[in-house]
Amino acid sequence: MHNRLSSHLSSHLPGLVPGAFTAIALLCLAALLFYQLTALPEFSSLSLGPRFVKTLGWSTLQATLSTLLSLLLGCAVAWALSHQPVFPGRRLLIALLSSAMVLPTLVVVLGLVTVLGRNGWLNQLSEQLFSVRPDTWLYGLGGILIAHCYFNASFSARTLLTRFESIPAEQRKLSQALGLTAWQRFKLMEWPAIATAIPGLATTIFLLCFTSFAIVLILGGSPKFNTLEVSIYEAIKLDFNLGRALGLALAQLAICATLVALNTTIKSFDRSISARSRSLNNFRDTPGNQLLQIIIILLAGCAFLLPLMAIVYDGWSADLAGIIKDPQFIQASLTSITIALISTLAVLLLSMALTVCHTSLSVSHRIGNFALARWAARFISFSATLYLAVPALVLGFGFFLIARQYGGANNYWAATALVTANVLMVLPFALVTLLPASAKAANKYDKLAFSLGVSGYSRWRLIESALLRNELIYVASIAFCMSLGDLGIIALFGSQDFITLPWLLYQKMGAYRTTEAAGIALFMLILTLVVFLLFPKLVKRNYAVN
Amino acid sequence: MLKQLTPFVLTAPLLLATAAFAQTKPVLTVYTYDAFAADWGPAPGIEAAFEESCDCDLQFIAADSSIGALRKIQLEGSQTKADILLGLDTNIAEAARATDLFVEHGADTTNLTLPTGDWSDSTFLPFDYSYFAFVYNKEKVSNPPQSFEALIAMPEDFKIVIQDPRSSTPGLGLLLWIQEAYGDRAGEIWQGLAPKIVTVTKGWSDAYGLFLKDEADMVLSYTTSPAYHLIAEEDTRFASAAFSEGHYLQIEVAGILKSSTQQELAKNFMQFMLSDAVQDIIPTTNWVYPATTTEAGLPDGFDTLHVPEKTLLIEGTDVEAKRQQWIDQWIDILGQ
Repeated sequence: MHNRLSSHLSSHLPGLVPGAFTAIALLCLAALLFYQLTALPEFSSLSLGPRFVKTLGWSTLQATLSTLLSLLLGCAVAWALSHQPVFPGRRLLIALLSSAMVLPTLVVVLGLVTVLGRNGWLNQLSEQLFSVRPDTWLYGLGGILIAHCYFNASFSARTLLTRFESIPAEQRKLSQALGLTAWQRFKLMEWPAIATAIPGLATTIFLLCFTSFAIVLILGGSPKFNTLEVSIYEAIKLDFNLGRALGLALAQLAICATLVALNTTIKSFDRSISARSRSLNNFRDTPGNQLLQIIIILLAGCAFLLPLMAIVYDGWSADLAGIIKDPQFIQASLTSITIALISTLAVLLLSMALTVCHTSLSVSHRIGNFALARWAARFISFSATLYLAVPALVLGFGFFLIARQYGGANNYWAATALVTANVLMVLPFALVTLLPASAKAANKYDKLAFSLGVSGYSRWRLIESALLRNELIYVASIAFCMSLGDLGIIALFGSQDFITLPWLLYQKMGAYRTTEAAGIALFMLILTLVVFLLFPKLVKRNYAVN
Repeated sequence: MLKQLTPFVLTAPLLLATAAFAQTKPVLTVYTYDAFAADWGPAPGIEAAFEESCDCDLQFIAADSSIGALRKIQLEGSQTKADILLGLDTNIAEAARATDLFVEHGADTTNLTLPTGDWSDSTFLPFDYSYFAFVYNKEKVSNPPQSFEALIAMPEDFKIVIQDPRSSTPGLGLLLWIQEAYGDRAGEIWQGLAPKIVTVTKGWSDAYGLFLKDEADMVLSYTTSPAYHLIAEEDTRFASAAFSEGHYLQIEVAGILKSSTQQELAKNFMQFMLSDAVQDIIPTTNWVYPATTTEAGLPDGFDTLHVPEKTLLIEGTDVEAKRQQWIDQWIDILGQ
């Protein structure tokens, strides 16, 4: 017995090492950053500034409203889409909604300004039709809510659609046979199906909006709607008040860590942002309901597509040849793509290490039954969700302080900080994608692999690499896109000789060089959509042929 | 520990992407605001003129605003490449002096012809000046406001765009302008202005770009800004609104960094800033008044500009004593 146990353990222990090491390294990184923040001389002049309470109040209100609106809109769109399983462009629309999570924030914000700005498409149309030009309302709470809803309503629509579509066909048939109204059906059958996804989804959206940076920075319009994230940025970059930046960073850290700890599961992420979806039988709704669904889909489609079309339209009319030849653009593209590739590679390695470790710790026929295994598995997942607890600007600030203390080339620190932030940002998504697939592979093939004596790398090559291939491709594509489009830490580290595409775009937008900005935005949009929507298909097809 | 966590090796390709090239001539690096360093700004002309005689490479590095350039130097700390910071004004100069990062400019200032008379600051050297004013398009605004109170009383859809006093010298200038004109009533004026403000930008060029895109009816700029449209674009539609409270004076200054390894070259550059070669470039590139009276004089068109009858200016040390308090108050009013 004792022998069997030890041989059982020893066969799985080597697999645990890289994952355990990764998790410990991630937590050490967090501890180091925390130490860095508290060990500063500025720690003695720690302050929160006169606006802290107001900032907190506005951020909470803004994030609450954003969350409610996003969930409401997302739910309406998911409901309409699940009831209209067949119409031309449905798959494309769902694929585009899935891509909202990886679309570069700034590209969408620029599109929104082009459509909804004071001199935007909508106001121009209204001026032509009614000779009235409505007042501008995009800068301020309105703009922040619209931009947050753009991303998070799409995200929740995609998440909830999966829930709607998971309702068993028998239940649907029964509800039809009983002649339930659309509302009764929603209340009795659909709401229970989506309700379990709501708390996790709501917490995630709330945290993303509460720590929102780029959107608030550009559309905030005044310090009124600053989030803590933007206040930290301003304390560093505008006031050079490191004591205040430190105070705000620690406050933000405490708040977010508490929220993440309260919301112990991150399962709501599931594989909801993948581009695939299932079609189902028709619901036989009343014509009135059908009309409502079609209107919701049309409105949602327009609202989602218009800003992107504005980018394509403006970008197309920009001097594209000139932009591509611009040395700044070339430098930014090279830097962005290099950083995105390094981040992708790092995400793949770290998430695989964590996945292998987590699978061994949680699958019962491996060592999942051992007393400490469950806690160890939780520790692994927690290390992967650090990003939600340690927002980018706090992370960046920590790196920034390390850079000041230890010296060395600014570019190295900037690149290191960016890659680290990207990896932490993508890891939660990567793990929720890989964990279920890996557990499935373990349950299915462990016995066979054991009896054939296949283990280590050859097992990975024969089993995991084939079974997890699609998941890994998917993780790679979101890692690349999210890393490419992020404007967070670069706002602290960006300089004339270290620029990324989002930073270049931010500067062009800041200077209201809108046509140039639209050209750069178009390039980023195409790159993102190609990598997110086409790359997985291309790779998969090759695989099928081989 | 630190070294293990820092994937230096992974970032090596970036070095190739941003490859530094070998330099033989000494490099003089000037940090400034974006509009100064822009292709259409004064920098290219100054660079060409200075490099003719200095046997050096003069490089302008643009920050998104002038105070942004100062913060950048503070952030970079000992790592900064800046030899000179150019583009602060007298209002923020005391804050810059307090950082203890600057040394004496060493330039001869006898030929300065500033509205304030003789110059006594041995650290910061003035190179141009103008007056803050709101600029508007005469075709779109037929009855421009003649005071802050008239601006507040404008119709609800009349919008202005201003700059952030924490990052931009015009933004700080407006804060001081209202402070000097209204004293204890300044808060009241800001409360009235708040609903008129479309957005607060980081720097001047952002705000001006927004105004030209018709996102606002008036923009905080300078009495001299219409000269750009008049001379460069032969467009007579733009004017600055004359305010009965008087206009706040801005004197732009430059300073040499203590950490610079090119002290001699930097001092030569500072003196060069006051030469006719540079001072004649200033009016038609930075669109403000030169700090000296040059032989060629002001270009045609500058005579059409509104010259304020009453000039406002708060002593730099007084600004510094109250700046943070006024800014906090401003944020509080705009953030209500």
